[in-house]
Amino acid sequence: MAGGGNGFFSWKELTSPVSGEKVYELFIGPQHPASGHMRFIVRLDGDIIVDVEPDIGYVHRTMEKLSEGREYIKNIPLFERATIIDSNNITLGYVKALEKLLGVEPPPRAKYLRTILSEMNRIQSHLYGMGIAGIMLNHSTMFMWCFGDREIWIQLAEELTGARLTHSYSIPGGVRRDLPADFKERFEKAARYMERRLKDYDKIFFSNPMIRSRYEGVGVLDKDTAKRLGVVGPNLRASGVRYDARLLGDYGAYDELDFEVPTREEGDSLARLLQRVEEIKVSLSVIRQALEKLPEGPILADEYFKKLPPKLREKVLKTGRVKFPAIFATLRPPPGEAIARVEMARGEVFFHVVSDGSPKPYRVRVITPSFRNLVLLRYLPRGCRFMDLLAIYGSVDYFPPEADR
Amino acid sequence: MWLELIIRLLLSPYIFAPLIYPGLVTALAILLTLIWLERKFAAKVQLRYGPLYVAKQIGGAPQLLADAIRFMFQEVIVPRNADKVPFLLAPVLAMSLGILPIVFIPVAPGFAGILINFSLPAALALSALMPITIILMAWSANNKFTIHGGVREAFITIAYEIALFVSALSMSMLYSSLSLQDIVEKQALVPGILLNPLAALTFFVAMLMSAGKLPFDIAEGEQEIVAGPYTEYTGILYGLVMGAGYVQLYVSSLIFTELFLGGWHPLFEALGELYPPLGGIALFLKTYLVLAFAVFLRCVYGRYRIDHALRIGWRRLIPLSILALLLSLGLRFVGVVV
Repeated sequence: MAGGGNGFFSWKELTSPVSGEKVYELFIGPQHPASGHMRFIVRLDGDIIVDVEPDIGYVHRTMEKLSEGREYIKNIPLFERATIIDSNNITLGYVKALEKLLGVEPPPRAKYLRTILSEMNRIQSHLYGMGIAGIMLNHSTMFMWCFGDREIWIQLAEELTGARLTHSYSIPGGVRRDLPADFKERFEKAARYMERRLKDYDKIFFSNPMIRSRYEGVGVLDKDTAKRLGVVGPNLRASGVRYDARLLGDYGAYDELDFEVPTREEGDSLARLLQRVEEIKVSLSVIRQALEKLPEGPILADEYFKKLPPKLREKVLKTGRVKFPAIFATLRPPPGEAIARVEMARGEVFFHVVSDGSPKPYRVRVITPSFRNLVLLRYLPRGCRFMDLLAIYGSVDYFPPEADR
Repeated sequence: MWLELIIRLLLSPYIFAPLIYPGLVTALAILLTLIWLERKFAAKVQLRYGPLYVAKQIGGAPQLLADAIRFMFQEVIVPRNADKVPFLLAPVLAMSLGILPIVFIPVAPGFAGILINFSLPAALALSALMPITIILMAWSANNKFTIHGGVREAFITIAYEIALFVSALSMSMLYSSLSLQDIVEKQALVPGILLNPLAALTFFVAMLMSAGKLPFDIAEGEQEIVAGPYTEYTGILYGLVMGAGYVQLYVSSLIFTELFLGGWHPLFEALGELYPPLGGIALFLKTYLVLAFAVFLRCVYGRYRIDHALRIGWRRLIPLSILALLLSLGLRFVGVVV
């Protein structure tokens, strides 16, 4: 049995179930107060976890296959349902791959608007994760506070896009709506509130000695192991690896904005949660800068804008709401394939779109960050105490629908 | 004539104390209002409304009554693999053992169900029986989660029980009496918490552990083991086991108030002449405050890990309670208390 969750397990060790008379087997989920849409098969030796088998797939919706039967544009609302709380980030990956296939470049203003919504999604997704982590330790105040404060960002996103969660905001060659007139002031108000609330969270949760005793030194993921397991997102950065798809600067306005990707060295559960707090702060500063630098101009690429009838074109310019040109119904990218990487709240999402020249994709491959982080639930709890399983689960911020697709 | 007899019978301490105050009826009233208050408190802290829809004008106060009625009419499911007799008996036992210590607790000078000179150890001993029923529930339900919860309860019980007894006995040492009545009488001027705050602290923490309230709701452990020993209970049986925890908290809060907060002092003589328990109304108010504070803690804390809780019990509470005992000894030696 491995002690303390250090050391790397071989493939055989990871896959062979541990059994014996001493082992107490618990089936946690899928109908369980804290399991989410998944099942853990936990094997205990006394109070020590010998083995955890995450059993996923309860919310598998065959998204990759479904996407092959729909026109390209209709796949945007499909994919955002994989991670409804982080929808602009995941659709951005698909839209970016599609734009590569089509050879379209969004205008600068659209890039900035995409960045703003992406970061807003990141903030509310982190709040969601932190709230869930709170309730996993039965800290209902953290849960309610995070979910309540998340509402502000949802409402702000609604003002921008017209939908609370399923924004479908990014479309090939641009975005669907322009920025509302008083958005900047409303964002500033929300950002100030958020900064104040982060201090409150710190007081009641992150600096609470009771909570620290649950998180500190629990489920330590060291740098090398994190790299070897292929972990992504905040979980990777909390182990000291500075990797973020935003740093590539090939989507959104990230190459023009000045931001620092925070990292931490400890790699334990507390570090993973504090990493999210830091990322919320960074996201706030990114949105602030993006709103400051927001260039004037169109929000839809010229080649599509020109295809609108003149009357509609005027209307779009006046209202700032894009009407789809007819060509969108049957977009036919030339045969070929494209990949895209986008940093979602939970890590990097990877899209591989293959086109055969028809209006529907030949194949779309999605690898979501939660799916890549799942291995942590197998690896980290070993050797920890049973109650640590939930602390680790909360800190990893695993989102079953995202992993199952 | 008959009526007078019945009234006199009802008002005699032997009937009134166990049945009405501080017994069954009061416990039920506290159960109904306290859970509502707890939820309202939590809601206030957590920026929401809390119970609201049952009688909106009074803030959803009868919510718990509505829940209790629903429990009454809900089907009681007995799992096929459960050991039926103990499974059905254990919640009833838990509730009755939870409320039984009350007969020894005086609520006004000379007013108790059973007035004896050893009321403090008697009440504590009876309340110490309750964990056994919880383990019985866990075992008879024959479910992996319940058994895990039962084992947790057993561990926790041993960890808090010693500290609870030693800190209570340090107060009886300070006042050189095992009778709650005497202990309260000697606090007429200075409440015990000022003389021995250490004992108050250890007693309070051990009391939270015994009632399974946050941050020590480890046996229940919703996020890990569904509801611990109570997982398989439905309907009114679940209502009983859920209520038993609160009743236990109520009883230990009563003892806490009498040991540390001066019990029924200040005494209202005029009201007391009307009927003795009315004079000791201060006891009820103080107990309610202690209860409210205990349930408020859930807004601040999460759940301790079981090994941390055991460490708190064995390595912190027990040494601290022994220190409290020594403090009492010192205070007696100096002659602070006559």
